[in-house]
Amino acid sequence: MEKQKNVHNKIVCTDIGKTFIQKGTQQVHVLEKISLEVHDNEFLVILGPGQCGKSTLLRIIAGLETPTEGQAFLDGKLITGPGPDRGLVFQSYMLFAWRTVMGNVEMGPKLNGLPKKECREIAKHYIDLVGLQGFEKHYPHQLSGGMKQRVGIARAYANKPQVMLLDEPFGQLDAQTRLFMEKETERIWQTEKRTVVFVTNNIDEALILGDRIATMTGKLPGKMGPVYKVDFERPREPTDMEFLKLRHQITEASELVL
Amino acid sequence: MDTQSVANEVIKSTREKQAFSIIALIRNEYFLYLVSSAAFVLLWHWVAKEQILGKSLATPYDVVKELGRLMTIKLAGKNLFGHAWASTQRILIGFSLAAVVAIPLGLFMALNRTVNAIVKPVFDLFKPMPPIAWISIAILWFGIGEPSKVFIIVIGTFVPCLLNSYNGIRLIEPELYDVIRSLGGNRRHEILQVSFPAAFPAIFAGLQISLSIAWTCVLAAELVSARSGLGWIIVQGMKLTKPELVIGGMLIIALVAWLTTLLVSGLERVLCPWKRHIEGL
Repeated sequence: MEKQKNVHNKIVCTDIGKTFIQKGTQQVHVLEKISLEVHDNEFLVILGPGQCGKSTLLRIIAGLETPTEGQAFLDGKLITGPGPDRGLVFQSYMLFAWRTVMGNVEMGPKLNGLPKKECREIAKHYIDLVGLQGFEKHYPHQLSGGMKQRVGIARAYANKPQVMLLDEPFGQLDAQTRLFMEKETERIWQTEKRTVVFVTNNIDEALILGDRIATMTGKLPGKMGPVYKVDFERPREPTDMEFLKLRHQITEASELVL
Repeated sequence: MDTQSVANEVIKSTREKQAFSIIALIRNEYFLYLVSSAAFVLLWHWVAKEQILGKSLATPYDVVKELGRLMTIKLAGKNLFGHAWASTQRILIGFSLAAVVAIPLGLFMALNRTVNAIVKPVFDLFKPMPPIAWISIAILWFGIGEPSKVFIIVIGTFVPCLLNSYNGIRLIEPELYDVIRSLGGNRRHEILQVSFPAAFPAIFAGLQISLSIAWTCVLAAELVSARSGLGWIIVQGMKLTKPELVIGGMLIIALVAWLTTLLVSGLERVLCPWKRHIEGL
């Protein structure tokens, strides 16, 4: 296996395989031979049906799981654990219920030992960026689902990671809020560019957001499917001709209806 | 169309309210609270007055009169407040002793496998034992004074305090730790920023349960042997065949126990401000 040190590639996964051992003996083969490259400042969407191992792949990139086979690299360096260079956003928000919006967003800078005043300023900046100004003193349970995920995004962004990893972040939202949050994500990403890996099972979400869409096949173990380049202009509308054409192409190619 | 029909509905309902104010009154829950309480007292009075349950039920008036008498007269050196305080004091001491030891122990057990493996077998042996079962041995060990009563309360409240702080940590969503680690935190941060604050509500739930168990324990201990306290008052009422004294004692226990739960939920409000809007009690 050759070591790749391509400067354009922020993240490189080479032949990643993952097998979980459940209840001592039972083996669950989740990922098989996953190879993936994510370019610098690219918005990459990993699209796949439920239970295809895409969240596990994201957790491997995050350093929260170690692959059984293969390796994952960030800037050419082997990923061995989680770190502040990769910001994580969860499907179920995972906010600190005992902290206010401000307390949640400033957690990253605080853990990294920045002075209190600076933490505040950074947090304030990202709270404004995600459009939550005025809600700094609210507790998570006082917010709607969409607002909670804004806090989740701001919290990850505030740590100034090089890579943002989002695991089906809008899976719990209703269709209207979801579409709105997708637009917001695009706006936030365009305001402060980062390399983004965005996991979803929603093909329209993938087409609205992705620079490229890496598909994964259903049923375990998950394997990599074709990768599509989405090169038409942003902002994209689900009614655009090009949008529908690519959507058709992707659905045709994958055996499962997404 | 739609908005109009909604508007009509509103007009209709406000008109109904004005026209039939009695219906509105019956639907008012505070009014119903009043009616139901008054009905209960009247029923109680009637049953006692007509001696439907024999002579051993005192009328509400007799009970209130007896309580009034106890406020001024001293029984065994203490008036009513003195006895209520005697019981409350035992509870506060025993309850605090148990909480101070059991809560940190539960937290340690949940966070450290070794501590858990050492403490768990012993704890599991004592866990199913009802605290009242300890009364005789407590009297043998500590005599009939204060220490034996405090001991029973410690025994009774230790288990729920420990179990709740243990479960409070065990039931934390593991992904919350992932958040801390991906933000650049270490194990110490995980414990300080997630484990402890996330366990707080469970710890307070444990304290509330402990408190009601503490009242059961202190009464049982006072019924067996005591020279003061609300349990002792009830025993006096029984010995003197004075139902008004027994019922009065029971009512005061309910009142004081309720006040102590208010104390704990007040403390929870101060320490867990994020729970303030969820709480229903």
